[in-house]
Amino acid sequence: MFKLKSSWILMLVLVLFAFSLFGCGGDSAGPVDETPDGEAEGEFEGQVLFGIMVPVTGSEAADGIDMENAGLLAVEEINAAGGVLGYEIVTTTGDDECDPSKATAAASKLISEEVVAVIGGYCSGATLPTLALYGDAGIPFVIAAANATSLIDENPGWAFMINSTGDAQAAKAVEWFESLDVDTIALVDDGSAFSVDLKDQSKMQWEAAGHSVVAEDRVETGTQDFSAVVTNIMAANPDAVYWTAYQGLGALLIRQLRQDGYEGVIMVGDGSSAPELLDLAQAEGEGVYCTAPPVVDFLPAAQNFISGYNDSYPREPGAYAGLMYDATYLLVDAIERAGSFDGEAIKDALAATDGFEGITGPVGFTPQNTLNRSNFVILVGEDGRWALAE
Amino acid sequence: MTSWEIFLQQLFNGLLVGSFYGLVAIGYSMVYGIIKLLNFAHADIYMCGAFSGLIILGFLNPYVGNEWLGIIIALLLSMVLVGLLGVVIQRVAYRPMLKAPRLSILITALAVSMILYNTVLLMTQGQYKPFTTGLTHESFYIGALRMTETRMVLLLAALVLMFLLHMFITRTMYGKAMRAIALDRDTCQLMGVNVYMIIAITFFVGSALAAAAGIMAGVYYGTVHFFMGFLIGLKAFTAAVIGGIGIIPGAMLGGLLLGLLEAFGTQIPFIGSSWRDVFTFVFLILFLIFKPNGLLGRIESERM
Repeated sequence: MFKLKSSWILMLVLVLFAFSLFGCGGDSAGPVDETPDGEAEGEFEGQVLFGIMVPVTGSEAADGIDMENAGLLAVEEINAAGGVLGYEIVTTTGDDECDPSKATAAASKLISEEVVAVIGGYCSGATLPTLALYGDAGIPFVIAAANATSLIDENPGWAFMINSTGDAQAAKAVEWFESLDVDTIALVDDGSAFSVDLKDQSKMQWEAAGHSVVAEDRVETGTQDFSAVVTNIMAANPDAVYWTAYQGLGALLIRQLRQDGYEGVIMVGDGSSAPELLDLAQAEGEGVYCTAPPVVDFLPAAQNFISGYNDSYPREPGAYAGLMYDATYLLVDAIERAGSFDGEAIKDALAATDGFEGITGPVGFTPQNTLNRSNFVILVGEDGRWALAE
Repeated sequence: MTSWEIFLQQLFNGLLVGSFYGLVAIGYSMVYGIIKLLNFAHADIYMCGAFSGLIILGFLNPYVGNEWLGIIIALLLSMVLVGLLGVVIQRVAYRPMLKAPRLSILITALAVSMILYNTVLLMTQGQYKPFTTGLTHESFYIGALRMTETRMVLLLAALVLMFLLHMFITRTMYGKAMRAIALDRDTCQLMGVNVYMIIAITFFVGSALAAAAGIMAGVYYGTVHFFMGFLIGLKAFTAAVIGGIGIIPGAMLGGLLLGLLEAFGTQIPFIGSSWRDVFTFVFLILFLIFKPNGLLGRIESERM
């Protein structure tokens, strides 16, 4: 008798427990947007086709859709202002799914549709194999987001990167530490290729600038207790700590450093630039710096873009939407300077870009077709939100 | 910091982390002692405890002003809830397998672990969740040792829970029955002990202690996520082996010892913090080879 009854009660408790757990499920992905129709009436001489290559499905779809939206928004605005050289811009999207083989197919599709130029490029790995395809077809490619240094070596000269490459982040970190009169730093990574790369770059540039790295450490993923790392850092007593990996572990490190009484500067890399870092770090996140990509929320020049974006799409522009918006305007600017839709002429005009004012800052290129400045910004945690520190 | 300060700080860090290990290790040891099962789902129970504490605290926060009061209520409620979860798991997944070969129940335990882990993964979308308590981290010094109120209370709470458990095991009928079943289940049944109920109580107590450890970790680290139980589960298992699996004071001792070993092991030059886990599991292997019964274990020929 007891057994029967108790098992039923226990089932009930289990069900209740499951329901209570559902409470923390929370934020699901936002709604998927529709493409706005930006059709202008008749006054154009003709149409010109731009290709957009971003991942609109797959794991990176959120950023990819933001970028596609930003590109479409720019195109809509340009068409409303008379188009480019009197032609109306129409677009076609190739979905690279952040996958090299899908990206190759997407690029072939865009080439066969005879696009004049391509904008986009989010995942470096997926962007890489398309460079040669666009180069062979003589199609200029403005890469908005992808920024691995490997893209520089594979570039046949037709691609232009308007996002800073990885070493620019370390340069920005060094610059900011120096402005805070920091002399000794500790570098902490989590063993991932991305974080180790940023750590190595930072170490090289920091030592080249005549300062010293007094501690280098690595946290174990999967654990919550970083007391060993924290004690090592406290013993070395650096002026600043730079965390080069992602926000989940970064928040734990920040909290444990502050709780153990570390009072120096704490800075995190762009892997931790999501707002979640500050949610997780709670009170200890105040005053933490971050080297971040140019997120439009903090760019004064981008406020019109943000309101335009919010009017057209039911979501916030992500971290890379501003760059995509700039890529579109830059391409149009280059076409107007070239005065024709000829690929070679557009390429030369892009290479000659000097002082183009985008919402993410001025654009100009190095001889390797990379951005000639660091576009990273420094954010600081204030009242649980990121704010621009500069 | 001077080396003396580092020594004190690491001593305290080791004790605190060790007490978390110990609380989780007790559950492994109790269950192993009574039904000879390595309960792989135990680490996930710890994780569920942390999440249930987070949810309850979320409900309480608007009503309870005092931070510690809210945490204590959430702790007790979660201990009960997660203890019941442990009993349900035992009833549904383990009890039908008690007469089956040992390997079957071990695989069932793995399956339960997967279910819990993936359920929370899906519910949280793999996100880290902030464990907001409102506690500040004002520090003060005891001699050269830097201390916060949170750490002190957590260490004391862990020790109190261990003490209460020890009393429960040694001074109550239920504790006596548990020890008797660990020695010989069939005879206990013949003597009129309600074996299944005692097994259920064992799961309740073990799971409740794991939940307490989970919430304490949430309060201490400020972040919880679905993966948080994995490594601490392995380490608690190591602690249980060091102390002698199946022996409850051994699990507590093993936990504290492992915490201290880790804290000081990472201070040895050339080992460093990134080698901490290697260090820990080397100890597990050494113990399994040279002292398989653990520190407090007796050599018994008939432990099959």
